[in-house]
Amino acid sequence: MAHRILICDDAIFMRTMIADILTGAGYEIAGEAESGLQAVERYKTIKPDLVTMDIVMPDMGGIDAVKAIVAIDPAAKILMCSAMGQQSLVVEAIQAGAKDFVVKPFQPARVLEAVQRVLGG
Amino acid sequence: MTDARRARYVALFASEARSLLSGARRALAEWQDDPAEQDAAEEIFRALHTIKGMAASLDFATTAELVHATETTLSEVRRGDRVATKSWLRDFELALDTIALASEAAISEAGGERAADAQDTANKGPRIVRVDLDRLDALLSDLGGLVLARQELERHAELDTFSPISRAALQMARRLDTLQARILDVRLAPLSEVLERIPPIVRDLARQLGKDVVVEVSGDALEVDRAILDQLADPLLHLLRNAVDHGIESPETRRAAGKRANGKIAVTARQDGDAVILQITDDGRGVDRDIVAARARAMGILEEGARLSDDGLLAVLERPGFSTAGEITAVSGRGVGLDVVVARMREVGAAISLTTILGRGTVFSIRLPTRLGIVRALVTGIGEERYVMPLTHVIELVACEPELVQQQDGRAVLSVRGESLPIVDLRRLLQYRADDLPARRPAVVVEANGQRVALLADAVLGQVDAVVQPIERPAGMARWLTGATVLDDGRPALLMDLASVV
Repeated sequence: MAHRILICDDAIFMRTMIADILTGAGYEIAGEAESGLQAVERYKTIKPDLVTMDIVMPDMGGIDAVKAIVAIDPAAKILMCSAMGQQSLVVEAIQAGAKDFVVKPFQPARVLEAVQRVLGG
Repeated sequence: MTDARRARYVALFASEARSLLSGARRALAEWQDDPAEQDAAEEIFRALHTIKGMAASLDFATTAELVHATETTLSEVRRGDRVATKSWLRDFELALDTIALASEAAISEAGGERAADAQDTANKGPRIVRVDLDRLDALLSDLGGLVLARQELERHAELDTFSPISRAALQMARRLDTLQARILDVRLAPLSEVLERIPPIVRDLARQLGKDVVVEVSGDALEVDRAILDQLADPLLHLLRNAVDHGIESPETRRAAGKRANGKIAVTARQDGDAVILQITDDGRGVDRDIVAARARAMGILEEGARLSDDGLLAVLERPGFSTAGEITAVSGRGVGLDVVVARMREVGAAISLTTILGRGTVFSIRLPTRLGIVRALVTGIGEERYVMPLTHVIELVACEPELVQQQDGRAVLSVRGESLPIVDLRRLLQYRADDLPARRPAVVVEANGQRVALLADAVLGQVDAVVQPIERPAGMARWLTGATVLDDGRPALLMDLASVV
């Protein structure tokens, strides 16, 4: 069965782009969220195999969402999506329990590599 | 990237970047009125950040670089390395204008947005007839009669599957399915009928309560059955009132906690298969589960040391009377009457769930059925009446013999192939006379919420396709009787929500 992925980003543009990359490689998009709080809610209902998480989002940012999701499911597999120049935030996210990160703008090959790495590990 | 795909991204960029830029301009106007206003800077920063990411993804290099430079000077202000003087703010406004020009240039250079709505202009718009809901109810009830007649016909047809009557029965069954779907479709009404009233009501509530709240509504074009929609308004207003009153903090408290002074409440709807998921999200203080847990322990409804998950939290909060306690209301971020909300939602077959994070906010998620269902159900006799149970929860039927019943921890259990299932006697539960019970009774093994129980009935009478209609509930009626249907002899039967019984 295809791995089910939850995409969290406040921009429809970015969600569409990630969804296209992932569905093109045979993954199933199990849901989308546009804020950190929504991401936590959706995680509970969908129980995806992997989450892609933007860092800067309104309401509740990606790092707090990582903490909340890991509190619910310590085995959660979360891949951070950061813009360039957010290295310190990426480190914080990894410390909070994220497994890996990719940098925007997305290179499809890089994204897929990271997704496989996180799902495999 | 294929051309078609790139064109789609460009169209998304166009609409999203424009909306983010106009949001940034609005925020900048507030900032210019009050240069000490930090929320505006945060909002503009997020907007620019998103635009930069999108522009870079489309190789709109000029736009991306411009945004990056503007973001950098804004960062200096956010860090406190630079003061947002009147003249700096004016320059910043020019920078936003330049970004808008650059992104528009990039959009048109990339071929512009495709005229996605070109085919819409060909539509002349729907022709509408207004129909009284009573007439639609009558239609649905006639349909129920037809479904029963079909079952009768199918029973005869089964005797000889190759007979002409069998073929006719099959054809009728197909047409009936189509007719049923059409009738149920006619009853659909857009959520906007309820949701469009929300923003003014919330703004008014916020004003009365001294809160600063922004409301967002989305997905209101989705449709649900009229009878379900009519039941939605009150519970929804209840949740919104609680969100404004107890969820969203005062502007001062929010600032002190490092949040935007104005709280946000979003009411969003999205389609999920046959259901519509309606979510009420506030970015307020969230529910303090330690306080709720302490009170639940004091009331003896939570074991010592047990933690409250979100599901557990809702189960506690929805207990009648629980949340009326003043201290819970004031500090937990949740107000009164959640029991009423949950009960009303269950009546129309909706499920409600809660996600809350202390200090961050709360999401109530309501899964609404969009159509009144036709449910495959088991008919049972209890006392003088008949009750129907959806087959989705029924595992098997067994006979409850006296020698299979044991006492375990003070309650009766039925042994089914080595598994001990708690027994619920429906006759007692429904408060019928429980004397002169026969020794041997049918037991319906049902599973819900991950638990199995054996429900004792007086008789099991068969299966039906029940056309379920929501019921007006008289006071004192059990919460888990959630609908009514008419059986083939014309007598009514009540539908049990087995998830609530278990």
